[in-house]
Amino acid sequence: MEELIQLLEEIQPGVDFANSTSLIDDGELSSFDVVSIVGELEAEYDIRFRPMDIIPQNFNSAKALYELICRLKEA
Amino acid sequence: MSFTSFEFWLLVAVCVTGYYLFPARIRWTWLLGISGLYYAAAGPGFLLYLLFAVLTAWIGGMAAVSGKKAAVALPLLLDFGMLAWLKYTNFLISCLNHFPGVTLPYLELLLPLGISFYTFQSAGYLLDVYWKRCEPERNPAKLALFISFFPQLMQGPIGRYQTLSPQLTQGHSFDDTLIWRGICRITWGLMKKIVLADNAALYVNRIFGAYTDIRGLGFQGVLMYSIQLYADFSGGIDIALGIAEMMGIRLDENFRQPFFAKTLTDFWHRWHITLGTWMKDYVFYPITLSEWMRTLRQRSRKWFGREIGKAFCIGIANVIIFVVVGIWHGPAWHYIAYGLYNGLLIAAGGFFTGSFRKWKKSLGITDQTAWFRGFRMLRTFLIVNISWFLDRSVSLGQAWQMFKDSFGSRLWSVTVIDPSDPEKCMVRFLTIAAGCAVLLTVSILSEKGKDVRGMFLKLPWWGRILLLTGAMLLCALYGNMDDGGFIYANF
Repeated sequence: MEELIQLLEEIQPGVDFANSTSLIDDGELSSFDVVSIVGELEAEYDIRFRPMDIIPQNFNSAKALYELICRLKEA
Repeated sequence: MSFTSFEFWLLVAVCVTGYYLFPARIRWTWLLGISGLYYAAAGPGFLLYLLFAVLTAWIGGMAAVSGKKAAVALPLLLDFGMLAWLKYTNFLISCLNHFPGVTLPYLELLLPLGISFYTFQSAGYLLDVYWKRCEPERNPAKLALFISFFPQLMQGPIGRYQTLSPQLTQGHSFDDTLIWRGICRITWGLMKKIVLADNAALYVNRIFGAYTDIRGLGFQGVLMYSIQLYADFSGGIDIALGIAEMMGIRLDENFRQPFFAKTLTDFWHRWHITLGTWMKDYVFYPITLSEWMRTLRQRSRKWFGREIGKAFCIGIANVIIFVVVGIWHGPAWHYIAYGLYNGLLIAAGGFFTGSFRKWKKSLGITDQTAWFRGFRMLRTFLIVNISWFLDRSVSLGQAWQMFKDSFGSRLWSVTVIDPSDPEKCMVRFLTIAAGCAVLLTVSILSEKGKDVRGMFLKLPWWGRILLLTGAMLLCALYGNMDDGGFIYANF
C-alpha cells in the first residue's frame, strides 16, 4: 500500500493520495490523470485494466485502487 | 412541438397534473404515454425509429449480459449504423461526387427528432450492461421510457440508466417546493431562450448570413453567437430539467458556468457536460485501454521519455474524441475542423503542462493569483470564441473569411440587423446587454455556490407569482417570438 502511494505521488505530484477518499468526486483527479495512472500501474504491476474498472469508486482513494490492483492480479 | 409552443405547455400541464393524480405505481406508464404522444406529434413515422432503438437496446441488453463482445457489438452497430445512414449518407455522396465522372443522386433522408441523443443514451445502457455496471432491464416498456422521456428527448441531457431509470419508474410524492423550483427553472430557461438567444440570433443570422456583403463584423458576429448558443442550449436544458423536477425527477446538469473556465479542458468539463462524460466513459477510456494504445504507449515512452510519451497517447485519444464530437455536430468539414481545433489545442496543453508549471514557479504565479485567474478566463473565452467561427459558419472558407474580418476597422454595429429602424435595433441591443448582465450575475452567484432558486423560494407566494409574471411580461415585450427552434435539436 505504501509503495503504491509513493508511486502515485510520483505520477501525480501534489495530490493527497495518503488521506483523500474522494479523489474523483472532488475533482482532484481528472480523466487524463486517471489514464496516466492506469498506464503507469499497468507497466509497474503487469496488469490489464478493463473499461469496466474505470469507475469513480475504484479511483477515489489509494485504498480502493490498491484493492482493484489486487483483484486484477488475481484475475 | 417546440418548447416555446402553446401545445407543448398544454402537454406539460396535462402531464404533471396526471402524474400526481395516478397511483404512484403506474405513474411511469403515464410518462411513457405522454412521451409517445410528444414524439408522435413530431411525425408518426419517427416513432418507428424510436421503436427500433428501444427494441435494439432491449434485446441487445438481454444478450449483452452474457459478456460476449458480439452481443453488444451488433446492437451498437445497428444503432450507430442507423444514425450514420440518416446523418452522413448525403455527405458521403457529396464527397464521392467530387471524383471525375461520379454523379450519384442525393437521397431524401429526414433526421428523426433527437435521434443522436436517444442513440447515445441507449448505447450507454448497452455498454453498462456489457461491463456489468447495471442489470439489463427486462421490461421493454420501462426501457422505452428511459430512452424516450420527453423533456430530454430533443436535446438532452444524455441520461445514465443507473441514475435515471429508477427515478422515472419510482412514482414520486407531490411536493409543492418541487413544483415551484421547476417553474422557476423553466421560466429562467424561457427567458434565456426568448429574450437572450433569439434576439442575439437576429445579429448572428444577419452577420453570418451576409458575410460577403457585411464586412468587418466577424468579432461581433461570433460574440453574439456565443451568447445565442449558450442561452439557447442551456435555456433548453433548464426547461427540460425544470419539467422533470416538477415530477421529482432530477436529470443530470449539462452546464456549470462554462465561461468561467480557466482552460479549454475546463471549458469542456463545464459545457455540454453529459456529452463530455459520455465520451469519456464510452469512447476515451476504451480507446486508452485498447491494445493498440497500450503498444503505442510503450513505444512512445521509449521514443519521447515518460512525460512526453504519456502526453502523446492522451493527446491522440483527445484528438480522436474531439473529431468524433465534431462529426457528431454534423456532416461537414467545418465541424471536423472544429473538433480538430479543440482536440489539438487540448493535446498541446498536455505537452506543455510541465513547462507551464516551471514558468509559473519561476515567475511566482499560482493558479489562485487574481490577475492570472482573470487572464486565463479571458484567454479561454477567446480560444472558445475562435472555435465558434468553425461551428457556426457553413464552410471552412466562410470561417476563415469571418475570422480575418474580426480585425478590420469596423468592429461593431448596432443597426446591422435593420438599418432602416435604428431605434428598434437599439432596443434589441440593450435587451441583449441587460440579459447578459442578469445572466452574469446569476452565474457569479452559482459559481460561488449560492442556491439562486432557493432565494426565489424564500419569497412569499405572491412575490413569486409577481416575479414570474414580470419575467413572462419581459419575454412578451422584449423577446423575439419569431423563432422557436433550438440549435441542438438539429444535432
